[in-house]
Amino acid sequence: MNAALVLWSWWVRTSAKWPVLQTLAPFVPVVALWWGVAAWGPFPPAFFPSPPDVVRAFGSLIYKGILPEYLGDSVARLAAGAAVGIALGIPLGLLIGLSRRAYTALWPILLFFQAIGDIAWLPILIIWFGFGMTTMTIIIVYTVLFPVVLNTVLGVRSVRIELYRAAQSLGATPARVLTEVVIPGALPNIITGLRNGLGYGWRALIAAEMIVGTSGIGFMMFDARRAGSVVEIVLGMIVLGILWYIVDAWVLAPIERATGRRWGLVTQ
Amino acid sequence: MVAGNRVAGALTFVAPLAFLVVIWAVVVPAFEVRPQIFPSVSAVFAAGIAGLRDGTLLTHVATSLARVAIGTVLAIIVAVPLGILMGISKGVSAFLTPLLRFFSVLAGIAWIPIATLWFGYGFGAIVFVIFNAVFFVVVYNTLLGVSTIPMPIRNAAASLGAGRLAMLSDVLLPGALPNIVTGIRTGLGFAWRGLIAAEMIATNVGLGYMLFVARDFYQTEVIIFGMIVIGTLWLLIDRLILAPLERATIERWGLVRA
Amino acid sequence: MKSLSLRSLSKTYFDLYAGSQHTALHDISLDVPAGEFVSIVGPSGCGKSTILNMVAGFIPQSGGEILVGGEPVKGPGADRGVVFQSFALFPWKTVLENVGFGPKMRGIAKAERDEIAREYLDLVGLAHAADRYPNELSGGMQQRVGVVRALANKPDILLMDEPFASVDAQTRMTLQEELTRIWEERRPTVIFITHDVPEAVFLANRVVVLSKGHILEQVEIPLARPRVWDQLVEDDGFKELSNKVLALVRAA
Repeated sequence: MNAALVLWSWWVRTSAKWPVLQTLAPFVPVVALWWGVAAWGPFPPAFFPSPPDVVRAFGSLIYKGILPEYLGDSVARLAAGAAVGIALGIPLGLLIGLSRRAYTALWPILLFFQAIGDIAWLPILIIWFGFGMTTMTIIIVYTVLFPVVLNTVLGVRSVRIELYRAAQSLGATPARVLTEVVIPGALPNIITGLRNGLGYGWRALIAAEMIVGTSGIGFMMFDARRAGSVVEIVLGMIVLGILWYIVDAWVLAPIERATGRRWGLVTQ
Repeated sequence: MVAGNRVAGALTFVAPLAFLVVIWAVVVPAFEVRPQIFPSVSAVFAAGIAGLRDGTLLTHVATSLARVAIGTVLAIIVAVPLGILMGISKGVSAFLTPLLRFFSVLAGIAWIPIATLWFGYGFGAIVFVIFNAVFFVVVYNTLLGVSTIPMPIRNAAASLGAGRLAMLSDVLLPGALPNIVTGIRTGLGFAWRGLIAAEMIATNVGLGYMLFVARDFYQTEVIIFGMIVIGTLWLLIDRLILAPLERATIERWGLVRA
Repeated sequence: MKSLSLRSLSKTYFDLYAGSQHTALHDISLDVPAGEFVSIVGPSGCGKSTILNMVAGFIPQSGGEILVGGEPVKGPGADRGVVFQSFALFPWKTVLENVGFGPKMRGIAKAERDEIAREYLDLVGLAHAADRYPNELSGGMQQRVGVVRALANKPDILLMDEPFASVDAQTRMTLQEELTRIWEERRPTVIFITHDVPEAVFLANRVVVLSKGHILEQVEIPLARPRVWDQLVEDDGFKELSNKVLALVRAA
């Protein structure tokens, strides 16, 4: 009893010092279970690879340079698509959020096109642009755009009217109200939108790479499926998960903490 | 008065979309756009009629919806009790959070290759993809919902004599409900996209398949018609089922999503 | 400092539920000479905040004139500083940046406006909180920032809309004393909206009682200054004036 408590308190102190441990710890039993099932379970290794198989595949794909190249391709596509999506989405969101007329005219169109969903555009985009980079970039821009626009609108509308009034009665011109009040006020929502958009964009990219790709992690996984190599599929999934985790925990979450949370604004 | 407002609201919603259709109807003939690039309004309309008449449209729509419904319902049935159980203890829920986040990030599309290997092309693989798109997101949100119920509320219920079962049914489940509904809405969003992607890859019936096979023959009118059907269906699901559900829990109780 | 004149001011709006025109204010005429402190009291819904919002330029009047220093009001402007009940501090700016906002809008360089902001923060003893965000301050501290943010922009008239209504009773009295002290030092023209009668009497040179959209009566408050609560609670003149205003508000 006492020894367990001592051990527990050691864990609490150590994991407080290195929060990474808190993230990694729950994966230990999962990997152990996976290993156990692979070793003693009824599935043949070709169907259900064990952790060492995946690590070995990781090593060999790194060695051959395939994994770094494909990973680089996927990340570059996502980054390019996201940059364009944000550059279009934020101004559009500000316009719709601020102008009643723009809202009436554009809001239903936005909702409808968002509802169609990125993947459904693939067939017609392939007809227009063929199998390649253009098609994939458009898909990602499309995916990132809507959450950014919708959340920017939400953010603009969530700025309390007294803040506009306060700025105006302190002598702010309309342009200054935009830069000093509207944009910072909408920022926490914009970041939420970006986070959602990247989440969707990521999935869309994988799907697009599976269907039209000639490189990228999605292509690697689907190619492996064709060759019947489960190891590489599992490896691809793990790489995808880890990569998103890094983007989310090291890039998006800190931005969120530095803005909305510090300011005491709650996004919805 | 209220009914009048609703009609007016629907009209202001439809008007911009109708305007878009008018532009489409004018631009395609004016610039003599080839049908292999973009179809005319009448061709899309005809494609819709043809699909309705030979019954293929109904088959595709019904199959897609059935897959989503089965996968989603199964996922909710398993995910909600699991999420509540895991959320009761703060320690357990804190421990499991990174794991669930990892899997909800992977949920859906990334499982298509392995799902098709395990289940073969067809119904099983697609339902599996939808199941896990919804499952992980709902478990994660349920757990989040339960663990954010304020301790005073739990203590109040306990001191009013609530037993374990009553605590579950009268405190934990309703308390987590707004998060659960949000989870279902998010999960279904991923599932719907996963469905279209999976149907393009791994089946021979369904809306995604209908679009993808039309591409082989440059039948843009079928593709555009299919996109309109997909968009309309999702709008109906989201606006008529999910959004009202979310409003009913979140806004009515004055709860803000965590 | 400038004077404020309201000439037959009125506000009507269309009530969507009733389907008819509703009169919120009618025939409000009021003269506030430069450097006077006027409180406006009345029960909820009497239109006192509507007057302030029109003077601030946030909403247009339906009829009549609003003159600041003889010039008609056209929209919000830096000549009228506003202190809000909900503080309305910019959550994404530090305390220093909030107070320096007005000077920044006038194009004053950063070093100079920081100096101005610090000087005003000193006035309410908040120099130590300069680099914190509003969210990290108590309600009383936030409203001190709200007051000096308006003052730092050197407005001709200070408009205060129930500024102390959402802080606790203890803090409220401290804030009231700080406000009289600042007013006695700088003598700005102040319009102070409140539903708290002792507060109105304590602060003002004159209390205007509003009822159902018109001015019921104006009561002069000739109490000596400086005013502090410890002395005034025992003061017969204060009690008498408070009771008089209270009776008017009750009748309103």
